[in-house]
Amino acid sequence: MEPIILTENLKKVYHVGKVDVPALRGVDLLVHEGEFVAIVGPSGCGKSTLLHILGGLTSPTSGKVLVDGNDFSKMTDADRTRFRRHKIGFVFQRFNLLPTLTARNNIEIAQHIQGNGYNPHRFEAVVEMLGIKDKLDYKPYALSGGEQQRVAIARAVICEPKILLADEPTGNLDTENSQVVLNMLRTLNRNFRQTIVMITHNPEAAAVADRTIRMRDGYILPD
Amino acid sequence: MILSNLLHRPIRTVVSILAIAIEVGMVLLVVGMTTGLLHDAARRVEGLGADIMVEPPGASFFFGLGWAPVPIKVADRLAQIPHVLAVTPVLFQSNTNVGSGVNVIWGIDPASFDRVTGGFVFLKGGMFSGPYDALVDDLYAKAHHVKVGMTISLLNHDFRVAGIVEHGKGSRLFIPMATAQDLASAHDKASIFFLKCTDPGYTDDVMKAVHQLAPQYQVISVREYMTLMTANNLPALDAFITALIAVAVIIGLLVIFLSMYTTITERTREIGILKSLGASKGFIMTIILREAAVLAAVGIVGGFLGALGAKRVILASFPTLSVDLSVEWAVWAALLALGGTMLGAFYPALRAAQLDPVDALAYE
Ligand SMILES: Nc1ncnc2c1ncn2[C@@H]1O[C@H](COP(=O)(O)OP(=O)(O)OP(=O)(O)O)[C@@H](O)[C@H]1O
Ligand SMILES: [Mg+2]
Repeated sequence: MEPIILTENLKKVYHVGKVDVPALRGVDLLVHEGEFVAIVGPSGCGKSTLLHILGGLTSPTSGKVLVDGNDFSKMTDADRTRFRRHKIGFVFQRFNLLPTLTARNNIEIAQHIQGNGYNPHRFEAVVEMLGIKDKLDYKPYALSGGEQQRVAIARAVICEPKILLADEPTGNLDTENSQVVLNMLRTLNRNFRQTIVMITHNPEAAAVADRTIRMRDGYILPD
Repeated sequence: MILSNLLHRPIRTVVSILAIAIEVGMVLLVVGMTTGLLHDAARRVEGLGADIMVEPPGASFFFGLGWAPVPIKVADRLAQIPHVLAVTPVLFQSNTNVGSGVNVIWGIDPASFDRVTGGFVFLKGGMFSGPYDALVDDLYAKAHHVKVGMTISLLNHDFRVAGIVEHGKGSRLFIPMATAQDLASAHDKASIFFLKCTDPGYTDDVMKAVHQLAPQYQVISVREYMTLMTANNLPALDAFITALIAVAVIIGLLVIFLSMYTTITERTREIGILKSLGASKGFIMTIILREAAVLAAVGIVGGFLGALGAKRVILASFPTLSVDLSVEWAVWAALLALGGTMLGAFYPALRAAQLDPVDALAYE
């Protein structure tokens, strides 16, 4: 199998005033195409930071990052934006839907930004699979947390990203809705070979994944 | 997306549109009223039917400034120039009346005035029959509810309204020459002479002759005068208009700036979301600028409608005013408003584009 994510000695230091906060202290990570990986670890250990770097939302301080053949050390800000647009889908703990738009428009705007236009077949398939067909004309405030997160997943995968990055996708959901969302991620991974990297605090959620990576204090713990 | 954002904050949207509408409306009305005033005065001079105006040295053809009356005898000498059909002197008096603004009262000599102008069209009443008789035009009469036989106060004296004449012949208020001279302590003097040629074709010849006869006098043909009566030729007025337009544009710009600035602060998270979806800086800027452009467009249309409405109200309440709304200025006002809007929205748009996506997503 191809490695789709490869990091070597990845470091990230935040500068808060005069204080340096090392969030990642040398992360070596390998994820294969089609894998469903869970990342677990205590609060503040650098999970979100790692995910943001992999998605090109922020740049590493040092170390090597190769995602789907793109070497981040050679990419500008605009390059990373383009990379993110075409290859990454994000799902967040707080759903992060645009509040003024309906579910349908929230999904469509991702297609609009990607620029490949509206693909009705893909739209149908995704909406069908996530079971949000009859919720499409509602605005986020009129949807339950579980429904919002399903719309967010639809938005993340509508453009067929290489990698789906999920930061505690069930963190704001009750057990029942968590299960639904986890099942959908599972299905996406099984049926579409969607590569998924998911952060979670919940061991049950991690169990859904093929593999669990443990982090502590900015390192990945050996298995 | 743009529309839903605008509808999501209706008050902000309405206030922004209102600011642009007021900006556009104000530009149109200020320009419209000043040009209206000028054109109106010019048209009334044109309506006299005279061909040439002769004024003493130093006077301004734009009535109201620096009158230095000169001996009325000059009229007799002007009348002897070949091809001059008639000459009529006029003495200007300004009448400042609380509530009616400044009016220029013309002291006229009815006989020669009629020869030059072909006479008034009397809608009511007739010519002066005594020294304290006055004529008013129909618009003045309408504006001030004046009827024939009424007493009106001009130059701190009571005048009887002898007649109401059709507007368009020089002034709105006329009194007998001798009375005007008395009140101004300018005996046998006049402010200006209007000449009528036997044929308009002789205008240039007559002007040359006047120039030879009285080199120090200012001579201008009515046709040229008409072309000079624009704001551009009146530095003070031009500066006034420019200043008002600048204020209007700056206020519009600031309102849009503030409106868009608060919007992007409010929408920081949404901008972060767009960035997480891969939206480029250009995309974000375009969204903000387009939103501002929509505000401007609606505001501009509102301003046009407002100006048209205001014109009707102004004309209904002040019949003596005239408001010239020109297409040319409508285009200018629209361009200024749009330009100001884009300028005001530019910095907020830039800020939005440059937000750090992770910080923006963490924004509460
Ligand atoms: N923008 C930032 N500026 C400064 N420090 C930051 C920033 N983001 C994260 N950090 C710090 O980096 C470290 C790692 O943060 P990160 O958010 O990656 O942790 P996490 O594992 O996702 O935690 P949690 O489980 O609470 O979400 C923490 O010490 C955090 O305080
Ligand atoms: Mg986190």
